[in-house]
Amino acid sequence: MVNLGLNYLNSLSVYVPEALALVVMVGLVFLEATYNHNEKRKMTNYFSLIGLFSIIVVLFLNLSNAPTTAFFNAVAIDPFSTLMKLMMTLGTIGAIYLNSVTKEINLNSKNEFNILVVGVLIGGMILASANNMLTLYVGVETLSILSYVLASFKRSNEMSSEAGLKYSLYGGVSAGLMLFGLSHIYGVFGTIQFTGLVDQLNQLNMNQTLVLIPSFLLFFVGLGYKIACVPFHMWTPDVYQGSPLPVTTFFSIVPKLAGIAAVMRISMIFLGGEGLFSTSIIGLLVVVSALTMTVGNVTAIGQQSVKRMLAYSSISHAGFMLMGVVVLGQDGVSAISYYSMVYVFMTLVAFYVVGFVSDHYGNDDFNRFNGLIKRNPLMAILLTISMVSLAGIPPFGGFVAKFNILSAAVNNKFYTLAFIGGLNSVVSLYYYIKIVRYMVFNKEESDDSILGFNAVNRSVLVALSLPIIILGIKWSGFLSITEKAIISIF
Amino acid sequence: MHRLLDYILWLPLLGALLILFIPSQKKEAIRWSALGTTLLTFILTIVLYLGFDQSVAGMQEQFSVKFPWIEQFNIFYSLGVDGISLPMILLTGLLCFLCVLSSWTVEKSVKAYFALFLMLECSVMGVFMSLDFFLFYVFWEVMLIPMFFLIGVWGGENREYAAIKFFLYTFAGSVLMLVGMIALYFLSGKNVDSFNILALQGGKFSNEILNVFGTTLSFSKFFFVMLFIGFAIKVPVFPFHTWLPHAHVQAPTAVSVILAGVLLKMGTYGFLRIAFPIFPEASVYFKEAIAWLGLVNIIYGALCAMAQTDVKKLIAYSSVSHMGFVMVGLAAMTIQGTNGAVLQMFNHGTSTAMMFLMIGVLYERSHHRWIVRPDGTKGFGGLYTQLPVFSIIFIISMFASMGLPGLSGFISEALIFLGIYQEFTTITVLAVIGLLIGAAYLLWMFKRMFFGEVIDSVKDYSDMNAREIFYMIPLCIAVIFFGIYPSPVLNIMKGSVGSLVELLGRFQ
Repeated sequence: MVNLGLNYLNSLSVYVPEALALVVMVGLVFLEATYNHNEKRKMTNYFSLIGLFSIIVVLFLNLSNAPTTAFFNAVAIDPFSTLMKLMMTLGTIGAIYLNSVTKEINLNSKNEFNILVVGVLIGGMILASANNMLTLYVGVETLSILSYVLASFKRSNEMSSEAGLKYSLYGGVSAGLMLFGLSHIYGVFGTIQFTGLVDQLNQLNMNQTLVLIPSFLLFFVGLGYKIACVPFHMWTPDVYQGSPLPVTTFFSIVPKLAGIAAVMRISMIFLGGEGLFSTSIIGLLVVVSALTMTVGNVTAIGQQSVKRMLAYSSISHAGFMLMGVVVLGQDGVSAISYYSMVYVFMTLVAFYVVGFVSDHYGNDDFNRFNGLIKRNPLMAILLTISMVSLAGIPPFGGFVAKFNILSAAVNNKFYTLAFIGGLNSVVSLYYYIKIVRYMVFNKEESDDSILGFNAVNRSVLVALSLPIIILGIKWSGFLSITEKAIISIF
Repeated sequence: MHRLLDYILWLPLLGALLILFIPSQKKEAIRWSALGTTLLTFILTIVLYLGFDQSVAGMQEQFSVKFPWIEQFNIFYSLGVDGISLPMILLTGLLCFLCVLSSWTVEKSVKAYFALFLMLECSVMGVFMSLDFFLFYVFWEVMLIPMFFLIGVWGGENREYAAIKFFLYTFAGSVLMLVGMIALYFLSGKNVDSFNILALQGGKFSNEILNVFGTTLSFSKFFFVMLFIGFAIKVPVFPFHTWLPHAHVQAPTAVSVILAGVLLKMGTYGFLRIAFPIFPEASVYFKEAIAWLGLVNIIYGALCAMAQTDVKKLIAYSSVSHMGFVMVGLAAMTIQGTNGAVLQMFNHGTSTAMMFLMIGVLYERSHHRWIVRPDGTKGFGGLYTQLPVFSIIFIISMFASMGLPGLSGFISEALIFLGIYQEFTTITVLAVIGLLIGAAYLLWMFKRMFFGEVIDSVKDYSDMNAREIFYMIPLCIAVIFFGIYPSPVLNIMKGSVGSLVELLGRFQ
């Protein structure tokens, strides 16, 4: 009994970030209940930002800790999961700040937003280091259920309600399929633990393999839906477009990175071996990755709403990151870590600018960006940097991320996939540059500058853009962080 | 002295940053700082030329710069200069200086224009100096961003389409190059020399094979084709040339000059520096095909030029035709052919720059470029009697472009013909037809614009002013001087071309 208690205490000591996030969330609930009048509203924002920044500090300090497991192998803490959690927390901070400065979500529910995103963040953290089927499922569900609420946050708005409903229907079905798959995997191995699975995988007989392939695919449905890869991507555009902007920002970062982290870990565990099972699943993942990139990019071209375009672009980026997954091994893990590092900043900058513009005009049509370079040069230049970087053009971080992923693929002889990836970035350039075209080439409709874009917001936006440039020019330091981001299989 | 390349490379960028800090109302200050920057850069390239040791075939020790950049990938910040890159660096320095002068009349967002222009100069210099493949690629790509804005904002009425087409086309080409570059890195063993362009050279990958798209191919042949497409889009070689007329016609004068004068040469420079020496056996294997593509460029470009009614488009297609000569000369892989090709790169740079500058001068007076307007009436007529100085300089540039003996174009074309005759006799004979068509379209254009009745609108054009004459003089001197005495350029590149041809000869 004492041992059990000690074990729990030990486990808690490596679980500080998650525990802190929980403290922040509970604290926010209390604050909301206690101070519900407007003057105190700022306090809740400060509280959540301070709390999340302290989580970042803790995660940063833990970055080079030795890999370990906690709670009887239910949770694996390794540099990779810590890094992904760090990025997710950054994304959450970004979303919370954007929420506090835009009018998308009405004043009364701004604090509720904070509570919910911290909750989703906890789910994402659980998912990123889940080391058995149950933790994984709990992570997915925590992530999902709170997300449904977030999607329908603009209660009076039809699109938003539709987004919430769509999201939850899709989510419910895929969670069910996932659970169904998991139960069969349990049937094959007789355990819910991932620990020791690698050895068992090598001793499977033919019948077991034949059961395992479809059940793994069902299992993958649940995660595939979280990262929105083809063919489970249908919900993304509607949900992203319908949700309020801070929520969209949040959705395109946190659940995506959490899903990618989980997929990466699971692929490393399940697909590490040789044989029919891993070759067939990897083959499928290659196809999924190629399709995700292509479908995301090709569909993004025709969009008229910038938010919707960014939704499709985030689908194609998930496809790119999946390219790192099929590689398996350290190359892929490092490449994905680097990619997510850059992706967070690129996405935040893009959504910030879109957020201010759509806040000003009430919609995010491409035409609202006409002549932005004249009206608000800084905004236009930073959005251009973000777009060019998303397309993967040097000297910006997006290029280095693309280079890393392509290197991982080429190093492991996935030449065809690398070419498809490369050509996809050409397709993506077309729609990324489309918004630059509206901003720079088109005549402005009016000459008013964007409201609410004050000095503080300006410096925040610049601060978010600087990493994009630094990650593209002096990236050896960051590379040494991502190279140490290993996934250990226990 | 040993950091000279650094200064040449980064000075334009510094100038661009300086311009960003000048308030946008002070247009004169911006123009003068741009002029000062490009002039200083040009002077430094002259210093580089004076310090260049012509007896050395490889990279010049005294100028090379090498620092680690990204240790994990063995990427170096490594610059160097040899006989093939020096003429290009000189050309870039000269043309950028003259272009700033010719852009004096730009009034739209002066600050952004010159800042982007200087960024463009920096990235072009970077391409010609890089000895690290990754660095080369970065400069190659970065160049697209200022170019996109320069065409898209300051261009003609259809500028958006042209800018996007240019951007997408070149980006598609370079992405193929990117995969090739990464593949080379891993195949050569991920060591300190894996991104080193010089160390990769010499045909080390002849026997490697590759599994791609479900089939097994020869590594070097496959990636030679990928690099070929990447560079061919820039040149542009025949099936990939469709972006060029749009980009040229829509771009403002100075950008057209840089585009035709320097950017097209980046493609052929890529062949000389990367594709040929790294995959010599594949280049020898494909040389016949390259030569035929070059021939198509010559004939097809010339015929297209003949059909144009827009004089700028005509010159744009003449560039396609002239770059065809470069391709044929390179494909022959003989000393004279390659010498001729590199010299043609330089000479075409000066002569086509003259043509575009002259058309720019004319356009500032006429605000149209029609030889024959769409409704069938004459766009120009009798310019010769109205603008005598303009006409004389135009004649010089036209004859230089045509390859009249005594002017620079002749020497390089003659060298190319000498070099290819032994290798491709049929192609040589057919290429001469291209030369004829070239003379025909230029003279016909000249006849229609400069002779004949003076039409009304031409009557109030003023002749070239002092500034315009001033920036044409260096180019006039260049085309005449190198037409009579090409040795200064030929001597620089002799050693480097010799070693390249020798390398390729081992795989013939």
